[in-house]
Amino acid sequence: VAGGTGAGGNDVQWCFSQVKGAIDDDVAEADIISTVEFNHSGELLATGDKGGRVVIFQQETENKCQPLSRSEYNVYSTFQSHEPEFDYLKSLEIEEKINKIRWLPQKNAAQFLLSTNDKTIKLWKISERDKRPEGYNLKEEDGRYRDSTTITTLRVPVFRPMDLMVEASPRRIFANAHTYHINSISVNSDNETYLSADDLRINLWHLEITDRSFNIVDIKPANMEDLTEVITAAEFHPHQCNTFVYSSSKGTIRLCDMRASALCDRHSKLFEEPEDPSNRSFFSEIISSISDVKFSHSGRYMMTRDYLSVKIWDLNMENRPVETYQVHEYLRSKLCSLYENDCIFDKFECCWNGNDSVVMTGSYNNFFRMLDRSQRRDVTLEASRESSKPRQVLKPRRVCAGGKRKKDEISVDSLDFNKKILHTAWHPQENIIAVATTNNLYIFQEKVN
Amino acid sequence: MRRNSAVRASMCRLDVESAVKEVGQSIGDVLSSPRYVLGRGVKRKLVDCEDPVPDLPYPLQRQLVMDLCLDKLQSCHRRSEPSLHRSVLLANTLRQLQQEMRQEGGGLSPTLAAACPAHAAPATPRHTPDLPPVPSDCVLAEEALPSLTSCHDLIFGSFEITNSTSYLTDLAPDDIFDDIDTSMYDPSDFSVLAFPSLRVGSGAPSTNGEEGLKTFSSCSPSSALQHRLSDLNDLDQIMEILVRS
Repeated sequence: VAGGTGAGGNDVQWCFSQVKGAIDDDVAEADIISTVEFNHSGELLATGDKGGRVVIFQQETENKCQPLSRSEYNVYSTFQSHEPEFDYLKSLEIEEKINKIRWLPQKNAAQFLLSTNDKTIKLWKISERDKRPEGYNLKEEDGRYRDSTTITTLRVPVFRPMDLMVEASPRRIFANAHTYHINSISVNSDNETYLSADDLRINLWHLEITDRSFNIVDIKPANMEDLTEVITAAEFHPHQCNTFVYSSSKGTIRLCDMRASALCDRHSKLFEEPEDPSNRSFFSEIISSISDVKFSHSGRYMMTRDYLSVKIWDLNMENRPVETYQVHEYLRSKLCSLYENDCIFDKFECCWNGNDSVVMTGSYNNFFRMLDRSQRRDVTLEASRESSKPRQVLKPRRVCAGGKRKKDEISVDSLDFNKKILHTAWHPQENIIAVATTNNLYIFQEKVN
Repeated sequence: MRRNSAVRASMCRLDVESAVKEVGQSIGDVLSSPRYVLGRGVKRKLVDCEDPVPDLPYPLQRQLVMDLCLDKLQSCHRRSEPSLHRSVLLANTLRQLQQEMRQEGGGLSPTLAAACPAHAAPATPRHTPDLPPVPSDCVLAEEALPSLTSCHDLIFGSFEITNSTSYLTDLAPDDIFDDIDTSMYDPSDFSVLAFPSLRVGSGAPSTNGEEGLKTFSSCSPSSALQHRLSDLNDLDQIMEILVRS
């Protein structure tokens, strides 16, 4: 991976770069950020929110020649992706909240992304226009038609520069294929197909075809009374276009090969770690539910996030993960309270850095965790307005699990469980991260000397 | 959605104070241990600790969790964002606790029977009307617990998103009315005056919408265009009625 960067964790010092979003504490529900995603080059950063809007930021470097120069992300395009719908037969509203955004690799001047709510996936084309034609013969500049009898000469219209305009237009709408709520979309490495997953089924689409999709996984039981497990996330392998994985609410991950059969109900591999009996509690099953699964860029590993931990799996070893990291183990003794206030059902995402050496995931109190695999170290950082002076270095935070609280530590009982970081993203090549609090997007960068 | 004021992890009675961790007890199954150290910041060796405050025995802890589970399952429809994932996890937890209680088998201790009078009385707010009635003389844990199976359809059945937004538009207007025999009606009976509320692509509901439908059924236009127009009007009428209800 280019740039000589990618080594995160304790070697890297992270600085505040930017924060986007309203400052005041009164959060408008529509502004709640629901997904964050860099495109393949890292130049564009997309966010989706509960109001169905997509906001895309573009990286502008001060000095494009220097690899580690300070970059700023500024608004590039904003558009309404999904609108609320009403299901007349069930008297239910279908939320416009954007659950996931996934970028397509760039093939020409335009950018394409897939965005999805609970029910419908849309392919959006984002294109730039910086020239406009001028000098029409039959029209005035303002568009009014000229009286043809007044035209005595002909001229060739020319393109003149104009202020950059970024247009987003929906190119495909993939609808009516999901009975349950869509939780994942993933573009295949063949750049022609993608999958969409809901609670019980996974469908395969061709990007050009909207009126048909193929069902490749179906775990709906014949009798809904027998339902005990749902699909929580799914992703295509980054290089093998026939391979994908899906995670479940029971803490298992299934790897499927589409060459084996059309309906991939029988997995090729089943990844599951036996439960540690000493950790058994009423909530063992709930906290084992996997909220996110992500392949490493290399395609050799995958990472899963459950309520308390992050696990790295080697695709060649099914019976246990190769690495396990505790995200916030101090919450284990608070599970009943977290169950009471529903926080135990929060779905945290996770992400890899460019060279797969560090992984990141969110926590409560606007904390997020960087777990360095190569150095076997971890750090807890905070996204807050208090630490948002330009280029301010982030100080590691520590949570005091019990006993005497040291200076600078925060005790578990003082954590704010309403401030949760569920969505984070890492630039594919550089040490730039995007961290979403409830309604703000923080961008942090590696300290540059 | 929760208010943006800080939400702390309110002290659920089952949660062990952080002091317990500090004394070196393994994270382990603290909830199954009858020993709790509730003093803050007080260092005690686990072996020496005794219950300064009598805490809940395991069966009552389990009951508390079950109560919470039932509450959450019953309120899942009132939530702004119903989640099948959440409901399945809650149902599994409840089922697991029920199984555990069944395995413990016959006869509840008097404490437990006294602790679950709420389940014996069908009128308590904890029960949905759909749960099977619980016998008032509940003795066995099994009878005290509402059956999950009848809830399942209620809980799991309502998560499907139906494609109703395209339900009607997918059908050609003629198909809807295939079963209506219009051969007997005189085209000359067709009159605009008969249903003043009908508008093509009508939006606002009208009070005599239903009358308009009735009037339509008694006569029929002859030309294909008029037939199609009135079919569409009929469609609008149906939609208005559905939305209003």
